[in-house]
Amino acid sequence: AKRFSNRTLKGESFSTKRKQGSLEAEIGVRSMEANERVNEKYTNKKCGAGEQVQRASSAPVTLKTTTSLSSSLLFPPLQQNPSPSSPAVALTPLPSLPLCGCSNEFLIVAGGRVLTWGRGTSGQLGHGDMVNSLNPKPVDALQSFVITHGSAGWNHSGFVSDTGCLFTCGDGSFGQLGHGDYSSRCSPVNVLYFSSRHVEQIVCGMRHSLALLKGNVEDHVYGFGSGKRGQLGTSRDRIQSISLPQITLGLEDNKIASISANGIIVQHYLVRPKDFYQFDINSLPLYASALLISDGHLYIWGRGFGSTTDVYCPHRASVSLTFTQAALGWNHALLLTGDGTVFMLGGNHHGGLSNPQKTILVKHTAEQSNEALVGRIPNLDGIKVLQVAAGAEHSALVTGKNGVIMTWGWGEHGQLGLGNSDDQTSPQ
Amino acid sequence: MSYDDVVIEDMEWNNELQAFTYPCPYGDLFQITKDELKLGEEIARCPSCSLYITVIYNIEDFSGDNSKTSIEPSKQQPVAVA
Repeated sequence: AKRFSNRTLKGESFSTKRKQGSLEAEIGVRSMEANERVNEKYTNKKCGAGEQVQRASSAPVTLKTTTSLSSSLLFPPLQQNPSPSSPAVALTPLPSLPLCGCSNEFLIVAGGRVLTWGRGTSGQLGHGDMVNSLNPKPVDALQSFVITHGSAGWNHSGFVSDTGCLFTCGDGSFGQLGHGDYSSRCSPVNVLYFSSRHVEQIVCGMRHSLALLKGNVEDHVYGFGSGKRGQLGTSRDRIQSISLPQITLGLEDNKIASISANGIIVQHYLVRPKDFYQFDINSLPLYASALLISDGHLYIWGRGFGSTTDVYCPHRASVSLTFTQAALGWNHALLLTGDGTVFMLGGNHHGGLSNPQKTILVKHTAEQSNEALVGRIPNLDGIKVLQVAAGAEHSALVTGKNGVIMTWGWGEHGQLGLGNSDDQTSPQ
Repeated sequence: MSYDDVVIEDMEWNNELQAFTYPCPYGDLFQITKDELKLGEEIARCPSCSLYITVIYNIEDFSGDNSKTSIEPSKQQPVAVA
């Protein structure tokens, strides 16, 4: 039977819409996913390997917008360098990069302003309505705030101001907005639970959210929304959902210094001044896992990677490597070491991933006897990796070789940017 | 190969599509109708891509009259405008 989604954005794709005289914003778009579907009669034709996907772009396209955005607004200089003695990680994602949620809404934080567009049927664009928007529109409700971070989840969004206020909007039926109820909002609403605290970053997942808070002595991660897979890390038992933020267990002793876009990337500073490390916690914004690297240790909670058991609060895994960065997909995670080597966790689906040679490097602690499979990424001999990123089922990295980008994983929708819709099992 | 196993309680009822839905990594929704469930169909497909999920449910909840179904689909929540 022919099927098409009612949620297809009708009208022109981003790559064809032009207006004379407008400033163009050139952004390398990683994966347009459903935003490129312009034809509402998108049939149920199965895309086999090598078949061109209709209308989807399989190579990066230029995003043209009709609002006046100068390129300097889109890519401002790094806003914070938390400590002068921290090792320089040159490629920490800028807070102003577009954040692509799997729900196809894009948020750009340009000089503190927020523009959203894409799917908006749950009110997640924050324009006070529940319709899709093909063009970036400013979120007027946040006009008087300087927004420093944002996150686009499946059906909801979160925004953080420079004063530490958290605003959420969109679908709230799982409590993922954190207002203490299960109602949805179509304009950003302040999460009052945190009014006397300073929220640093928000990550919105499929049906849950994780917030990073900074305090004078300690920093904390709070979770709210659906917790059925343990993705909130707030309880040792299985929980359904919570509508008010609760603290993620097992991370109370951490000092977390800063956050970056596309997940929560946390810099952990130890109290001992000579031991400054940078770690990444990348909460899986779109599914149900979370990963924290602190002090060289891997903490995992939520949906298990490659195992059938979910972990309800952070468990430390013993690993002999020091990781500096992580990126999470829906079924896999990428881990980057200080010397530029990439490892992958999970990934039995498309995320990279059919490599049969997986070395088991990580074991959970005694409480969990499951083993997470961590494998070294092939085809990268001698290539130093500077940054990793992950989509739902694909991966990307930036190499030290002239900044060459490599991608692999699920390619059906052209998201690898290689010019076709083939899957790739190793970086190309 | 099935992308994931999802219990029916985790799926959301979509009135427009008249189907139970679940997010697909592509950005669309895996969908399965009540009629399909009645027939014992287990696969919820995504209209935009080759991925599909396996739906876990009790067929007794869907066979016979609809009034007997004990599945409580997610309700549409009221929207508050700030």
